[in-house]
Amino acid sequence: MTNRDSHVADDLTALLDGALPGQRRAEVEAHLAGCAGCRAERDRIARALASLAALPAPAPPPPGFEQRFFARLAREAPRRRSLLDRLVDRPLRWLVPATAVAALLVAGISFRHADDRADLEMARHLDLLESYVEVASLDLVETPEDVDVVSHLDELKAGRP
Amino acid sequence: MAPDPDAALMVAFQGGDEAAFRTLFERHGRATMAFCNRFVRNGARAEELAQDVFLKLHGSADRYQPSARFTTFLYRIATNHCLNELRRGEYQARPEIDPESEEGAPLDPDALPGTSATPEEAARGNALARDVEAMLARLPESQRAAFVLARFEGLPYEEIAQVLGTTVPSVKSLVHRATVSAARALEPWSGEGAAS
Repeated sequence: MTNRDSHVADDLTALLDGALPGQRRAEVEAHLAGCAGCRAERDRIARALASLAALPAPAPPPPGFEQRFFARLAREAPRRRSLLDRLVDRPLRWLVPATAVAALLVAGISFRHADDRADLEMARHLDLLESYVEVASLDLVETPEDVDVVSHLDELKAGRP
Repeated sequence: MAPDPDAALMVAFQGGDEAAFRTLFERHGRATMAFCNRFVRNGARAEELAQDVFLKLHGSADRYQPSARFTTFLYRIATNHCLNELRRGEYQARPEIDPESEEGAPLDPDALPGTSATPEEAARGNALARDVEAMLARLPESQRAAFVLARFEGLPYEEIAQVLGTTVPSVKSLVHRATVSAARALEPWSGEGAAS
């Protein structure tokens, strides 16, 4: 391949996967008809893909796979909901000024030290920090699991069964 | 698009039907573990990761939009979780699987393709699996994810783009570069002189 730009190597995998749009497919096939180098590369890729068919199926999980998951779900899902319930059951109106103060504090730090990478990182995670501030102020963060729940607060919603 | 029965189950779960969630795990839990194992090459850890994925699914069901295929939603959670796991670093230093180790031991014969695999075919399949796993471990994470989704999960480029949150042209490039690397690594298995 002396003039690589005129070859079609970058399209060969998509061609074999049937993922090229019609016009481009026709162009690539026309090129292949006259280019032994690209045909050889296409065939090399095709042989490699065919070899994957000889892979054994994945090993099955050990017995009890489903039971272990549902036991863990029973342990952890109620706890996640419990923390959320405790959060939403508290009077929330004082959280608004607390959140605002925390946000202003972090924003102030970030703007004064805009060239400080650590502060910029903190600013990028302002939402998460606010969540920590709110929850920590409620004395609800007791265990590492609670910290994990806080980091996933956005995935939880009140009223879920 | 044909109706997605899993999407219907997810909608039922959104409505509070825990049995629907149970059915989703029974349908997809094992495949999710196999998917995770492509990233971490450790059965016990892959099971934990699959559990994590379904716990996240359980907790974030309200985010699911029925217009999306359920498996796309599931793959997105699983891929992000596995890539985050890889970023923890411990897997980068993980040595290639030793054929003499427990993980290199022959797989459950029941898991081999078909029921007529001879011991020689089984041994050849296991050796190929080790080479593929080593090849995957050397790929950059985005290429690895795209390759696994395309080659082992059989997803079209459009769906891979949705899972990875990128464009179809980007997926095309990722899959191609990974496949070229695979072709190079698997040359001994794919040439005319491949061991038989």
